[in-house]
Amino acid sequence: MIIRWVSEDGKRKWIYPVERDIYTKGRIIKQVSTKAKVIGITKVNIPSPLHPIVPYYVMLLEDEYGNRMPKKTMREHKIGGTYELKAAATDGAVIITKIKYDIEEYLKESIKLVHAYELKPADKILIKPSIIEAAYAYQAVNTNPKVIDALINYLREKGIEDIAVGEQAMLGNDVTDAANKAGILDVCKKHDVPFIDLSKAEYAEKTADGFSFRIAKDAIDRKVINVPAMKTNSQIGISGAMENMIRVTDERTQKRMFEEDIEKTLPKLIKELPKFLTVGDATIGLHAQGPTSMGEPAFLNMLFVSKDPAALDSVFVEAGLFKMPQYLKEAAAIGLGNTDTKSIEIIGDDLEAIKQHLKCPEKDATSHPHIKLIDGKADPYIFNSALKMTAKLVGLLGYEMRLAIGLHFSEEDLAGKNRLVAYGKDAIKRTRELGAKTAAEIPEDIDDMEKIALLKSVLESEEKSRITIADKLKSKFAGFGSKIKTRF
Amino acid sequence: MPVYVKGVGMTKFGVHSKTSQELCYEAALEAIQDAEISLENINAIVISRGDSTVDGERQRLFPSVISSILQKENIPITQVTAACSGGGAALWDAVHSGYGNVLVIGVEKLTQIPTKIVTDDLMIASERIYEQTEGLNFPAQNALVAQQYMMKYNATSDDLALVALKNHDNAFLNPKARFFGKKVTLDMIKKSQMVASPLRLFDCSISVDGAAAAIISKDKSDIEIIGSSLYADRLPAFESKDMTSWEATKLAAAEAYKQAGIMAKDVNFAELHDAFTSVELMAYEDLGFIEKGKGRELIKKGVTKINGKLPVNASGGLKAKGHPVSATGVSQIYELVNQMRKRAEKRQINNTKIGLAHNVGGAGSTATVHILKNIGG
Repeated sequence: MIIRWVSEDGKRKWIYPVERDIYTKGRIIKQVSTKAKVIGITKVNIPSPLHPIVPYYVMLLEDEYGNRMPKKTMREHKIGGTYELKAAATDGAVIITKIKYDIEEYLKESIKLVHAYELKPADKILIKPSIIEAAYAYQAVNTNPKVIDALINYLREKGIEDIAVGEQAMLGNDVTDAANKAGILDVCKKHDVPFIDLSKAEYAEKTADGFSFRIAKDAIDRKVINVPAMKTNSQIGISGAMENMIRVTDERTQKRMFEEDIEKTLPKLIKELPKFLTVGDATIGLHAQGPTSMGEPAFLNMLFVSKDPAALDSVFVEAGLFKMPQYLKEAAAIGLGNTDTKSIEIIGDDLEAIKQHLKCPEKDATSHPHIKLIDGKADPYIFNSALKMTAKLVGLLGYEMRLAIGLHFSEEDLAGKNRLVAYGKDAIKRTRELGAKTAAEIPEDIDDMEKIALLKSVLESEEKSRITIADKLKSKFAGFGSKIKTRF
Repeated sequence: MPVYVKGVGMTKFGVHSKTSQELCYEAALEAIQDAEISLENINAIVISRGDSTVDGERQRLFPSVISSILQKENIPITQVTAACSGGGAALWDAVHSGYGNVLVIGVEKLTQIPTKIVTDDLMIASERIYEQTEGLNFPAQNALVAQQYMMKYNATSDDLALVALKNHDNAFLNPKARFFGKKVTLDMIKKSQMVASPLRLFDCSISVDGAAAAIISKDKSDIEIIGSSLYADRLPAFESKDMTSWEATKLAAAEAYKQAGIMAKDVNFAELHDAFTSVELMAYEDLGFIEKGKGRELIKKGVTKINGKLPVNASGGLKAKGHPVSATGVSQIYELVNQMRKRAEKRQINNTKIGLAHNVGGAGSTATVHILKNIGG
């Protein structure tokens, strides 16, 4: 797609979206073309971090208006040939789109390329973004509000009136706070679209393969458009089309899904949900220590669109040159979607052409360099609060220690790990089961200040193999102090 | 008011272990000595440096670094970052600054980082969304331009190879060039690795470390700057009406000729921006040395050789002297002045009355043209 913003009198053209002609103050007309002629092509043999795979080709395209644009491809095209994207022929296709400034135009075009996807004015839509913590849009933790804005505009264009945006934050965070800071509440207000807190929704119970899910009715009764922020996830590899749908279930279900093994229960949930379209928002994208704001913006400028969430996630994994996450292998095992990227129909940009080394998350990293996690697939509340605790201790000198969370860790995971702290009932239970020697056990239901004080006492003392009564008393005082502070 | 070049200095272009400020110091010292002026009499300094974040130096606010190393406090020191045209742009700033004696320094360090990182870093000077994300690094960008040029004017890879050969022959004789004393044959050029078709390795300039300096003064010297012009055009080459002709170069040349009261045919020798061999051919035409589409005739007939009627890139050019991005434009002035002062030894040009320097940023997006006249006799 080639877009130009043209002055009303046709004298000036911009490659950037401008709202008014700065010379005449006149209107701007958008010139959009989806078909172009190949007028040049070069085969490039030198790699760079953004383009590590060589050789690749760059075509020079020219449309009917004489507007030009370069386009990277892995296939040789003939000069004089036509370049035009055809809609997908299969339900499992993944549309890869590199955005050139105009999110809305590229989003519309991407959805049009999806195989047999129809939107009717009578449709009731639930837009399901990622809003996991209070973070600004540029931090790329949550879905870009511009993508939500563009999607609502598109749905309105299609004559759809009944649109809602629904989400719940990562357990332990407040979704209204998060949606506000993320700029998504403003988008909802702008379009007069309700924002549904899915943690307070009505739920329907569905059972699949012996596991019972309580799913928000809005996610069942409405046609869902899933709009995840595409990012890394230090627990399960990536947060994408599949992970984003965990938060249509209630808190108890989410906790049980992790308890039972999230990598197995996530594909089961997706299989149980009504079919949905995913618009994967990689307009910024997050890599390194995602999914929270410990990660780094990746500035990808892309959209990934598909009716097959497993295929979409598999394509994103390969695009970032990540290791295939276990949950996608489990999805393949139960026949959920297509995870074999070689057989996935790719429309738009070539998968090989967008590959670049994104930063993989470290499974054991926290904000504090001396506190490492042993993550036994802890639920989002424990994972989130563990990261928050360690963030509070950043800047304190300390000695290396391990913070065990969740249930799914083994004796080998703990072998040779001294100065171990078990956090949360699952980790406490598991370390006891394994007979592991812990320096402290921190229950999840005590005051946050008390938890931090306990963790700090282990962190600061090199010799400490077990916290003392004095440490416990000190932490109680810290907790009591914080309660007094809150009250007065 | 007339403006003159009093003195010039330059480090060898190549691989240096010195820091950017040390390279600047070396070039500035030579320029100060050449100008027979005291540093105390310098009223302003203009620096050209890319401020790369990957060059290992991690240093911004470079004017104050220059203040420290030259111990010049409390004078105006400004920095220009205009990618490959940085040196020419710094010179233009100095000429038009109105100060009495201005020290212009261009510097870049590029060799201590792997090629793929340099490629990526230099690509930042292309348009982020349309070009960088589409893999349009500078060789690729210029390859598409070269291809359009070759298709339109029936130029061939052999024509480009002759440009490379000429500039390598010149660099062979230049002690400060990266390829000094290194023989490069036509066969080596034609058989070199394809970087971005149709451009081969020897069609591309070589990234080096280096610094160059010039003292621009209102006090009369033997070399007058009779034309100084800078034009900026849109960043992506694909936006030009005609990709095979760079408007910024044409406009800068026209203005500089007008200031100088000369025509293209009056230029005796030139240092042109041969970041790629195709760019030198296009520059012949855009600067008015020959009509559009016939640039290859100049190279085929040997007109632009050292002993030709219009020697071009006697220094070896960006191609073989080396291209330390922000220093390049100033190094062109170094060559013009040395030629005019008859100090070019084995590559000395006979007629050096009027010399032209042409410096480009991006694929034609910023161009400077400076015309120097030898008024010393």
